[in-house]
Amino acid sequence: MLILRVLQTNSLHGYAIAQRIHLLSSEVLAVEEGLLYPTLQKMLLKGWVTAEWGISETNRKVRFYRLTPEGRAHLKAEVAGFDRVTQAIQEILRTA
Amino acid sequence: MGELLRRTRYLFNRRRLDAELESDMEFHREMAARAGRNNFGNTLRMRERAQEAWGWTWLDRLVQDVRYGIRILARSPGFTAMAVLVLAIGIGVNVAAFSLFDMVALKPLPVRDPDLILRLERRSPNAYTSEMAYPSFAFYRDHAKTLSAAMAVLGVPPMQIDDDLQPTSASFVTPNYFPELGTQAAYGRLIDSARDDSATAPPTVVLSYGFWQRRFGGDPSVIGRVIHLSKKPVTIIGITPFDFASLGGQRPDIWMPMVQQPYFIEGSKVLTDWNDSSVRMWGKLAPGTPAKVAEQELRALTDQLRKQHPEAVWDQEYLQSSPGGHMQVMQPEMYQVAAMVGVLTLLILAVACANLGGLMLARAVTRSHEIGIRIAIGAGRARIFRQLCTESLLLATLGSVAGLAVGCAVIRIAISKLDGPKWLSATPDWRVLLFTVGMTVAASLFFGLAPALQIARQRQQRTIARQILVGAQVAASCVLLIVAALLLRATQHALYTDPGFGYQQLVSVDPQLGHHGYTPAASRAYLDQIQSRLQALPGVTSVSLVKLPPLGHAVSRARREINGHALLMYPNWVEPGFFKTMNIPLLTGRTFYPAEKNAVIVSESMARQQWPGKNPLDQKLGDGDTKDTVVGVVGDAHINALSDDDATEQYWAAQQDDMPGMTVMVRAGGEPGSLSPTIKAISENLAPTVLPEIRQIKLLYHENVSQIEQVAGVVSLIGIVAVLLAGIGIIGLVAFTVSQRTKEIAIRIALGAKPAAVLSAVLRQFRWPVVVGLVVGAGSAAAASRLLRVALYGVSNLDPAGYAGAIGVLMAIVIIAALLPARRALRLDLARTLHYD
Repeated sequence: MLILRVLQTNSLHGYAIAQRIHLLSSEVLAVEEGLLYPTLQKMLLKGWVTAEWGISETNRKVRFYRLTPEGRAHLKAEVAGFDRVTQAIQEILRTA
Repeated sequence: MGELLRRTRYLFNRRRLDAELESDMEFHREMAARAGRNNFGNTLRMRERAQEAWGWTWLDRLVQDVRYGIRILARSPGFTAMAVLVLAIGIGVNVAAFSLFDMVALKPLPVRDPDLILRLERRSPNAYTSEMAYPSFAFYRDHAKTLSAAMAVLGVPPMQIDDDLQPTSASFVTPNYFPELGTQAAYGRLIDSARDDSATAPPTVVLSYGFWQRRFGGDPSVIGRVIHLSKKPVTIIGITPFDFASLGGQRPDIWMPMVQQPYFIEGSKVLTDWNDSSVRMWGKLAPGTPAKVAEQELRALTDQLRKQHPEAVWDQEYLQSSPGGHMQVMQPEMYQVAAMVGVLTLLILAVACANLGGLMLARAVTRSHEIGIRIAIGAGRARIFRQLCTESLLLATLGSVAGLAVGCAVIRIAISKLDGPKWLSATPDWRVLLFTVGMTVAASLFFGLAPALQIARQRQQRTIARQILVGAQVAASCVLLIVAALLLRATQHALYTDPGFGYQQLVSVDPQLGHHGYTPAASRAYLDQIQSRLQALPGVTSVSLVKLPPLGHAVSRARREINGHALLMYPNWVEPGFFKTMNIPLLTGRTFYPAEKNAVIVSESMARQQWPGKNPLDQKLGDGDTKDTVVGVVGDAHINALSDDDATEQYWAAQQDDMPGMTVMVRAGGEPGSLSPTIKAISENLAPTVLPEIRQIKLLYHENVSQIEQVAGVVSLIGIVAVLLAGIGIIGLVAFTVSQRTKEIAIRIALGAKPAAVLSAVLRQFRWPVVVGLVVGAGSAAAASRLLRVALYGVSNLDPAGYAGAIGVLMAIVIIAALLPARRALRLDLARTLHYD
């Protein structure tokens, strides 16, 4: 879900995705290679992202991943679901 | 759906996409290294995990297994070759049998709408006939709304074309026959409803393609030519196509419109006689109507018909419909025979698979080293099991491709030798291919599963599996050999038993006076005249009359219970001189007086079965008020059931009313063939409109015998195949067992044991399986052979000679199988063997 969110604003290559997540979460969350790429492949399979070639900051050809409309829809659904669950948990933590 | 597409696209672009992923991950690594983080991890493993997401790993593994399997099989070419051979035989036999069944019963005829065609036959609880009267047919045709069309075929005895010596087979059909089948004429036109439906239309005839080639040299100018059929002029209007498919598998040489039958056969009342059941009826369902609905309507019509014409319809009669769109209209008994053959061929496959299973088990021992290593490295048992199964499937596929080739070759030979219809081809259709695939899977399960399980669980030392396999092989081979032996005995019996009458010099002359409209008195006059003229010929020894001639077109048979005995009775009506003409010995009593009433002559077996121990003369026979007295006993003469030992005959004296249906039997002093032209001349002279069918009994008998001989040939082949397979299997297994324990044998012999004792110790493990196999095999064969009774003429299904022969052959194979490897073991170079580690 986080990967999808990160890709919402613009398309990034694999390393950039990991970096951004790490950065934006104030270094709390780190996505390892072993988790990132299988997940990216699964998202390619499901059609939530597409991959296209681009040039990286270091002048190297690398694949950039971009969110597709289905991906956006899925992201919205997942975020909504996550919100619902978090709210429910918070309610319990507050009142129980 | 989109996901599936993406997955498939990945599959096709795999290399490129995997390379891209690799470059991605490498880039990631570079960047991470720059930032100072070096947590590498296992690159390959991560890549594999990423690729797993696409869901094609099972395919990867399969390809790996197949490649490995091919390598393994290529490494031991001897084993592979033999395994493929054994499988080819086992599967090939099954494919051939199924192809045959497919051609006969499952393949639709290449005509229009074959699935709408029905064959309609008259049935009642007590009787069954495949033909009906033409007026009945017309009634059904005119009133049945569920049938869009009704066709009828009338078979007649062969007719003479111009002045040919050999008559030609002929059929009369209703004018809609060819149009309904959608046949296109090869040349000219075919019989159609517009031009050939009235008796006043000019007479026409259609030739079959083969006949046109043979008799007229394939000359297209015969269209429009006038020829003479049974002395009547008729115009040839067309030729049927080369690959013409007719209904019911009949293949006459010439076809004529039904309404013109009385033109050719003068005096014939076939078209108007409600009592004369002689046409075969087919119907075409109206589109969208199921057969059951049509049957119901026909039932209602049958009841209606009975009210109008009770003589044409039996009590409780109904019309039974069977699918008519296949080469053969299947009767229930035929399905039984087919099932029997199927079981036999499956048995052969079982033997082949048991064979192979044993060999694979044996090989498993040699591979224990390799498999041990794989397990040590970390392969799961499931993985190894899967891989072994893939190997079996691979072997089975190879075997079944070979088997398919073998089966098709056999069918092709069969079609050409048995002169099959030209539209049949040996190339497998989807049903046969599907069957082959099924066989492959079944076979690989049979022979692959057990060894694979054993190997995966690393428990090869147990010999139970091996013993079971040997036992199963012995049992299955035993059944096959016993069945083959019984069938061979039956055919031998059929070939060499004396039929009981002197067929060598007999000629039957059938004038079919009834079909020409002769009254009994006129028939009597004709028959007397022709008999006296024939008797006067120098080459003729004796002449007489019979109603159902030997090997004739009509047979009458009844199964009755008389005084508690079940008898198979073949009645006949004859003149007094019949027995002398036929060379049937008169054992006691006397022959008939002319037209004697209430007298019956019985065959010897009937007398023996019916009145055991008593004098058969003057015994009474028959139900009803007037019983017939036995006046004589003759020797058995199965003139219409050559190979059936259970048949008994009864003869009554022919009366005046029987005369229109009588056939003349002529005994020649010398060669009967030379009499035919003379007989023809005499009959033409006597009555030009009557053209009797003249047949030499000797030729008919030989035809009958050659069919039996062909069957015997096929059965012997099956027996040989069974023997071969059993031999290969047992030899292989025993040889392997011995070779496994070569070292042990060498040590024992070196220590002074007698070779024979050592060998018997090694082979002892097979003692019980063989014995149990033989017992089970013989037992199942005995139980199942009851089903064979229908084919085992004259031979009991527990025939001791047959069983003894089969078991003897099998024992011989087993002993040879044990001794062959034994000889090798005995000639071991002990020093070499013990050194070799």
